[in-house]
Amino acid sequence: MTTARQRRLGRRSLALAATATSALLLAACAAGPTEPPAEGTDPEKLEYLVNVENGNIPPVLEDMSTGVCSAENEDLPLEINSIPQADLDGQIQLLVGQDALPAMFAAGGTPAEGAKLWNAGKLVDFDEALDELGVLDQIEPAAISTIKQLYGGAFSFLPFQYNIEGIFYNKALFAEYGIEEPQTWDELLAASATFKENGIIPLTASGEQGWPITRLLSGYIFRSLGPDALQKVADGEAKLTDEGYVEAAQAIADLGASGYLNDNIASLDYDGAQNEFLNGNAAMFYMGTWALTAVNNPEANKIGVENVGFMPFPGVEGGAGDISQYPSNVGLPSTFGSATFGPKVQAWTKCITENFGEMSLVDQNTISGFKVSDEVWAEQPQLTQDVHERIASSTQSVLWFEALFNAKAGQDSSKNVPLLVTGQMSPEEFMQLLQTDLDAG
Amino acid sequence: MKSVLGDRRAIAILLGPALAVYTLVMVVPVFWSFGYTFVKGNPLEGFRFAGIDNFVRLFSDPDIGAALGFTIKYALIMTIGQVAVGYALSLFYIFVLRRFTSALIRTLVFFPVVVPTVAIALLYQKIFQSAPRDGIVNELLVNVGLGSVDWLGQSDTAFIVIIIMDLWRSVGFYAVLLFAGLLDIPDDIIESARIDGARHWSLFRHIILPLSLPILLAATIFSINGTIKVFDSVLALTGGGPGNSTTPLTMYMWRTAFAFSDYGYGSTIALLLTIMCFLVTLFIFRSARRDNTV
Amino acid sequence: MTALIAENVSTQAPAPAPRPQLRRRRSTRYYLGRIPVALAIVVILVIEIYPLFWMFMNSLKSSQEFISAPSWWLPQEWKWENYASAWEQGNLATTVRNSLLATVPSLALIIVLGVAAGFALEIMVWKGRGTVLLAILAGIMVPGQMILLPLFTIYFNLHLTGTLWPLIITYVGHGLPLTIFMMATYFRAIPREIFEASTIDGASILRSFFSIGFPMVRNAVFTVALVQFFLIWNDLLFAITFANRRDLNTVQAGLLNFSGEYGQLDYGPLFAAICITVGGILALYLFLNQRIMQGLAAGAVKG
Repeated sequence: MTTARQRRLGRRSLALAATATSALLLAACAAGPTEPPAEGTDPEKLEYLVNVENGNIPPVLEDMSTGVCSAENEDLPLEINSIPQADLDGQIQLLVGQDALPAMFAAGGTPAEGAKLWNAGKLVDFDEALDELGVLDQIEPAAISTIKQLYGGAFSFLPFQYNIEGIFYNKALFAEYGIEEPQTWDELLAASATFKENGIIPLTASGEQGWPITRLLSGYIFRSLGPDALQKVADGEAKLTDEGYVEAAQAIADLGASGYLNDNIASLDYDGAQNEFLNGNAAMFYMGTWALTAVNNPEANKIGVENVGFMPFPGVEGGAGDISQYPSNVGLPSTFGSATFGPKVQAWTKCITENFGEMSLVDQNTISGFKVSDEVWAEQPQLTQDVHERIASSTQSVLWFEALFNAKAGQDSSKNVPLLVTGQMSPEEFMQLLQTDLDAG
Repeated sequence: MKSVLGDRRAIAILLGPALAVYTLVMVVPVFWSFGYTFVKGNPLEGFRFAGIDNFVRLFSDPDIGAALGFTIKYALIMTIGQVAVGYALSLFYIFVLRRFTSALIRTLVFFPVVVPTVAIALLYQKIFQSAPRDGIVNELLVNVGLGSVDWLGQSDTAFIVIIIMDLWRSVGFYAVLLFAGLLDIPDDIIESARIDGARHWSLFRHIILPLSLPILLAATIFSINGTIKVFDSVLALTGGGPGNSTTPLTMYMWRTAFAFSDYGYGSTIALLLTIMCFLVTLFIFRSARRDNTV
Repeated sequence: MTALIAENVSTQAPAPAPRPQLRRRRSTRYYLGRIPVALAIVVILVIEIYPLFWMFMNSLKSSQEFISAPSWWLPQEWKWENYASAWEQGNLATTVRNSLLATVPSLALIIVLGVAAGFALEIMVWKGRGTVLLAILAGIMVPGQMILLPLFTIYFNLHLTGTLWPLIITYVGHGLPLTIFMMATYFRAIPREIFEASTIDGASILRSFFSIGFPMVRNAVFTVALVQFFLIWNDLLFAITFANRRDLNTVQAGLLNFSGEYGQLDYGPLFAAICITVGGILALYLFLNQRIMQGLAAGAVKG
């Protein structure tokens, strides 16, 4: 009885808020720092707003709705809507302004935007919520710490993916030319020189996407200046135009100038780059472990699963970073809105937490931050197990280049980096451009 | 009799709904947008008064310079291209081709005008592709002994591809428009000039060109108003890249508002664009009034 | 600006008379002189048709062929199933439906409102109509970006997002200025006396608008409707701003998302999706070609 009344009251205050919103228009758009309600109100449907590009979560959830979570789905039917990733942050902001967030949504393409949502009290505190539901132990602690590191210090997003990044390499080509896994940047350059002489693309990356190249840049920065190098930039203690950072940009520009990347790299798209590697034209491919989906798919992978190795980004001699520090992330994460986190949504959350990890691993070959039993791990392809071990044994992780940037710097970075590696922009110009964006706030 | 055509009730019924929709969808938002130019922020973080900060930023922002530069360069080249090639085609239709061939070619050249821009942009992406495999243009270049070019990966070549694509896409419209204007020239004028001995170039130079000036002007105004607002073809073809080198003002505004969530500055860019459209049109109109009393 | 065009168009005779006086007598010299013309025709044909042909051929290739064979080769085996998967994966049924649902009501409203307003502004006599017409003319020049953000906020507050209404409303409002202006120009060609005479018989001016005015500009309405159809059908800015949800995507927006979503490597289905889009418009175009040409060029206005 009490709960019902509380809920009715809650709904009325929501309606009041909505009236105020439409009356004040501009003013009401500002979301004040309200406390998250102790309990949300169940919506009519479990609407899930996700980026169109996400081919991983929606199919698993749909399977769940007709399978393991069919009871929850009966109470609260799942409805998936998708919009392009580029529009997602803007769309979420508008929905927040209107108190119209869907029950479940992807957010935080720019981590700073995700943190803002948490600070505005719009997200569920999963530390508390999953503990109450008795499933907090279903989440990998490493994933929780990565989320806290990225999104404003709280466990406010769920790890539907948990990735580390490194270099996939073609073992057969390495063996053919007698090359060992490069441990340092110089060894990587030496290996690249050998491949290039023999007509093999040393390293493939998509310039059309841009970010696969800036990952090389941040990789170098973390190895040469240490794991906190980009945090320092975010805190204003260092500038991207400082010597060490420009030096890193120079190293990546040189990689392009030496011809160690694809020809016409600026136009090469994501799948194009991946296929250069999976068809045996390229020896190395920097990517996150989400690429395991393609690597483990014999139709896409023409060089054979057994010929693919995974190694960390090499060290830089005399650098402050360590080769064991993998960049890690939770993909574009999804979460639940606090206002709609009612009992039925909680039931869904519980069911997802208990089942998502295994289903996503088995059906999609995607590693998530939800725990999966050892027996299931043992059935996975060798490379997947190898990656899992690396994740489990890693003690410190780093972020990616744009993780702490604002939206404009993030976009300028990935859009301009092809110009850096094709010599159309100097390292100084590139870093200056980004630093200007960061200074503008 | 005046009273019948001055029936206020009838005027209200006929004009009222259209005026209401126009006011709500166009007039109010324009002023509202103008209001946004004095604030900073977005719906999530709220808005705060920013005075003329947005306008100050407009003058110091290097990206505005680049976007404005691209927009002007594109609008100029495109307008000249559309009108010049369109005019050449229209002369070809009317003075060179026979009736049936003329209709056929007209139909063919006009067709891309009605095709969705995104479809054309995707097609041109593939035609000018350079990686992982060459598209048809690069294959041609390689076969005649020239190297393959990363068309969409370099600023200057990307600009060329945009111009080629948009000309291909739109020139049919201008050709037909100018064709209609040329049909308007009375036959007897041409005939009498011909009897006076005017041939080919001099006929064109002294009779046809002066008589088609009004319609050329109309086409120019129409063209520049479209080219200054270029958005979809560039968005779909290059996405503004490489870097920001092919980002027009329209796209920069869209990104600022929706990707960088700055409604205030986005509206300021939109205002700049609106003012440009008005100025250009007024400028051309005025010079037209003076020269041709159109 | 459109005034110029509309006026120009409106003075056209419906069927252009042939120009026999421009034809030379058929001599050898004449035929030699035609060689460059023939060449020019061939060049135009190649420029216009080859890209479309190339697109069609590529829509029938397997993904392996894109990797291994030059793009100008004909497909080794014709993979018609690319079309099925383009239709399926590309969400084409939904996007075509959305485009129709947004375009048809918008067109109907634009025509009804625009013709009535054009009549009120040109045939009716009242103080201030010049000013109103000018205010509406100004709307033609306003770029969509200028009204985007307020409209976005308004639609959210009215809870219209998640439907196609924002698109329809915006298309009507944004399309009206051009329509009203063109209609006003067409009405200018009709003498007011016709309407005055009709009202002598006791018919109200509203009735003579419907019984005389509307039928008289029927052909002009068709022209304006065609122009607006293509403007709305090919809109991208409003479509990706107000209907960016996948289930609301129009054809244009759907195609824009197609490549990112299924990866560029599914080249065959991508080309097939482009072909379907272009093919649909081509069918409509060939069907209406005479009218489009007449409408835009020879001015069906007099009719």
